Amino acid sequence: MKEFKVAKLLAYFLLTVSAAFAADNPIWGEGRITNILGYGKADSSGLGPLFTLLQSEYFSTIFLGILIGVPAIYLLHYLVIGPKSFPHGGKKIKIFSLFNRVVHQLAAVSFIVIVPTGFIMVFGSFFGGGEFVRLCKNLHGIFTIVFAIVVIPMFIMWIKDALFKFEDIKWMAIMGGYLSKKQKPIPAGKFNAGQKAWYWVATLGGMTMIITGAMMYLLDFNMSMLTSMTGLSQIDLLRLAAITHNIVGFLVVALFFTHIYMSVFGVKGAINSMIDGHKEEEEVRILHSTYYNKLKKEGKV
Amino acid sequence: MSMSRMKFYCDEARCIQCDGCSIACAEAHQLPVGINRRKVITLNEGVQGKEFSISIACMHCTDAPCEQVCPVDCFYIREDGIVLHDKETCIGCGYCLYACPFGAPQFPRDGAFGIKGAMDKCTMCAGGPEETNSSKERQLYGQNRIAEGKVPMCAAMCSTKALIVGDGESISKIYRQRVTARGHGIQGMPYGWGTAY
Repeated sequence: MKEFKVAKLLAYFLLTVSAAFAADNPIWGEGRITNILGYGKADSSGLGPLFTLLQSEYFSTIFLGILIGVPAIYLLHYLVIGPKSFPHGGKKIKIFSLFNRVVHQLAAVSFIVIVPTGFIMVFGSFFGGGEFVRLCKNLHGIFTIVFAIVVIPMFIMWIKDALFKFEDIKWMAIMGGYLSKKQKPIPAGKFNAGQKAWYWVATLGGMTMIITGAMMYLLDFNMSMLTSMTGLSQIDLLRLAAITHNIVGFLVVALFFTHIYMSVFGVKGAINSMIDGHKEEEEVRILHSTYYNKLKKEGKV
Repeated sequence: MSMSRMKFYCDEARCIQCDGCSIACAEAHQLPVGINRRKVITLNEGVQGKEFSISIACMHCTDAPCEQVCPVDCFYIREDGIVLHDKETCIGCGYCLYACPFGAPQFPRDGAFGIKGAMDKCTMCAGGPEETNSSKERQLYGQNRIAEGKVPMCAAMCSTKALIVGDGESISKIYRQRVTARGHGIQGMPYGWGTAY
C-alpha cells in the first residue's frame, strides 16, 4: 500500500512538472512567440537564416573536403617523404604513466565512435537516413558520456606540458621536420607544437563540442541562465550551438586524422608509447630534443 | 498548367483565440499529449487596440528552410506546395526546428533516455509518403483529408472562419473581399454579418 502511495505521489509530481514544462516551454510554449518575432528582423541576431545558409550550402561540403583532403595530404606525405622510423630494441624511456594511458584510451575509444558517427549524420542522406543513421546519432551521444568523464583529467594532467613556448614557433617554421627526410634534433618539449595544438583542440574544443551537443540534445530544456547571460532567445542559442558544433567539428576531425596518421603511420611505432608507456630513446632524442636534454640533465636517461 | 500552391491564412481581425483549431487538430490526428501541430498565439497582449491572436502551424513555405537543412533529406514538397516529411527517414536531429521561422517542428521524446524521436509537424491534413489512407499513414501522420477532398481539420472547425486554407489565389481573393468590406487591421469593435461578408 505504501509503495502504491509513493508511486501515486511520484506520478502526480511528474505530471505537474511536465505540465509546468508545457506552459513555459522555451521552444513551443510562451517562448515560441519571442522566437518567431526574432526571426529575420533587422535588429535580430540573424542566426536563423545564417544557420540555414551554412547548413544547406557549406557544412557538409567542408566536412567532405576534410574527409578526403586531410588523408590525401598524409598519403602524399607517406609516399613522397615517407614516415620517420627509429631503431627499435634500443633503450626506452618511460613517457606516460598508467593513469595517462587509461585516460587517453578512454578518450580514444569515444573518439573512434563519435567521429565516424558524426560523419554519418553529416552525410545522412547518403546513408538514406532511418534506423541506421538514428542509431549513429544515439551512439554519438552515448559515447560522449565517456569522453565527458575523461576530458577534465586529461585537461589537467597535460596542461603544463601543453603550454606554448617560444620553441614552438621554430617547430612550426620547419613543420616539425616532417617535410625533410633528414633526422636531426627537432626543437620540442614533451609535446611538440602540433601535439599541443591537438591538446587544446581536443580538450577545450572537445568541451565546446560536449556543451553545444548537450544543448542540442536537451533542446527544449529551460536554459534561462544561458539566455539571460547572452541575451539570445533559446532558439537562437540552439542555432548558435549547431553552428559552433559544426565549425569546431572541422578542427577536431582535421586534427584527429592528423593525430592518427602521426601515431600509426607517420612515426613508426609511436603508438606503442600509449600502449606500454615507453618511447624509443632515439625517437625522443630527435623529435623531442628539448625534452631529451632536460631528462639528460636530470640524469634520467 | 502549373498547379497553384496551397496556403494557410489566419485573419487576425477574426480570430477569437478559442483554440478550436489546435484542439480539433490534436483530436483528429490523435496526437500524443505535448505535441501541438497548431497553436494560437496572442500578440501585444493587454495593449489596447493592438492585441490580436493568430493561429500558427507549419506555414508550408515555398522555399522551406527545413527542407534545405535536413541532413537526411526526409522532406519533400508536393506539387501543390504542401511540405511533408518521411518519419521513417527522419533521425530527430532538430536541425529543421533551428531553420524554421515559426518553431513548427516538434520532437516527441521516447525511450528511457528521452531521445528525440522523429519530427512531427502539421501536414495540412495531407498525410505522408505512405500509401494514401493506409493505417500506417494514419498512425504516423494522422488523417489524410486532402486525399478525400476535405478541408484540413483546423480550418474546417474554425468558428469565425479566421483560419482559411486553399490555393493561394482563392485565399487572397477572400481576404481582399474581407478587407474591402471591413477595412484593414485589428478590429476595435464587434461587427455583424453585413460587414463580415
